Amino acid sequence: MNNSRFWSPYVAGTLLGLTLLATFYVAGRGLGASGAMTLVTAESTYSLFPKFISRLKYFSQYVDVIAPLINWNLFLLIGLLLGSLSGALVTRNFKIRFDKGEGMSVRTRLITAFSGGMLIGFAARLARGCTSGVALTGGAQLAVAGWIFVIAMFATGFLTVAFFRRIWS
Amino acid sequence: MTAPFEVGQALSLGLAIVFGFFFGLSLERGGLGDPHKLTGVFYLRDFTVPKVMFTAILVAGAGLYLLSDLRLLDISRVWIIPTFFWPQLAGGALFGIGFVVSGYCPGTAAAGFATGRLDALVAMLGIGAGSLLFAVLFPVIEGFYVSSDRGKETLQMFFGVNHWVVLIALAIMAGGMFFAMEWLEKRTAH
Repeated sequence: MNNSRFWSPYVAGTLLGLTLLATFYVAGRGLGASGAMTLVTAESTYSLFPKFISRLKYFSQYVDVIAPLINWNLFLLIGLLLGSLSGALVTRNFKIRFDKGEGMSVRTRLITAFSGGMLIGFAARLARGCTSGVALTGGAQLAVAGWIFVIAMFATGFLTVAFFRRIWS
Repeated sequence: MTAPFEVGQALSLGLAIVFGFFFGLSLERGGLGDPHKLTGVFYLRDFTVPKVMFTAILVAGAGLYLLSDLRLLDISRVWIIPTFFWPQLAGGALFGIGFVVSGYCPGTAAAGFATGRLDALVAMLGIGAGSLLFAVLFPVIEGFYVSSDRGKETLQMFFGVNHWVVLIALAIMAGGMFFAMEWLEKRTAH
């Protein structure tokens, strides 16, 4: 395993922590990722099925607003994509690929990526955020929410691997 | 004027891009665009995720409360993540399963996609589908979703101690974990 391509996790974690601290200090809020993905989902499905989507009470916070795309979380996600892309390009870590566990078929990987993604998307809405918005941001704020989420996530993550060891090994 | 600051919309969105940039850069450079590294912790072979995560939590947490204690930041104007005990416990539990199955979480899927991983794009489409499913099922879930509301509860409120007691306890636990992780990684290195 060639780890030297990346920064030390403690260095990356420090930069991530300082970035989060800067958002607290300047904007009075934390980081997030899943909210912007929900916004994009609400907007794109609304443009396809306006009647059906406008009946969804939960999506009204994303759809029934003036200029919904003028949104902090969406711009944060755009920045995230640019930052990751720049990091990967500069260090020649960018490569178009389809990543999967060793020995896994492409079809199985399509299913795990999509169904696992669905679980995450659903779970993040239920928890009011994901690893960024609840675990990282809430964790640093010492919010009970963040620590409940972190503990529950690691617990079921380990259990899942115990039952389905071959997903990534 | 104390932080956080009221800024205009254009500046606010510009800052979001800048913060997002460093967010994405630290994820990618930490190796968190790679689903093998992301899931490594669950196989006890690569502890990058908890190392990055708990380092970031300690740096940002200590910084937040230090700035507040020095009265350089008005913490009452920082949006603290509200606690809804059971939905967040259930959400975290479902999230852990999805994390292992897909190999990503939302932020790292975006980071993975930005490094050229098409499976991460599929995971992001799944995340969208999961949000849609939540919105469709919301009338059934709403009662549970708003249950066990504990407001902006923090660990120092819960334990009735000073925030530095919590931060120091977390730092000691994280330090112990980092030590054990380094030891385990060296032992399992081939």
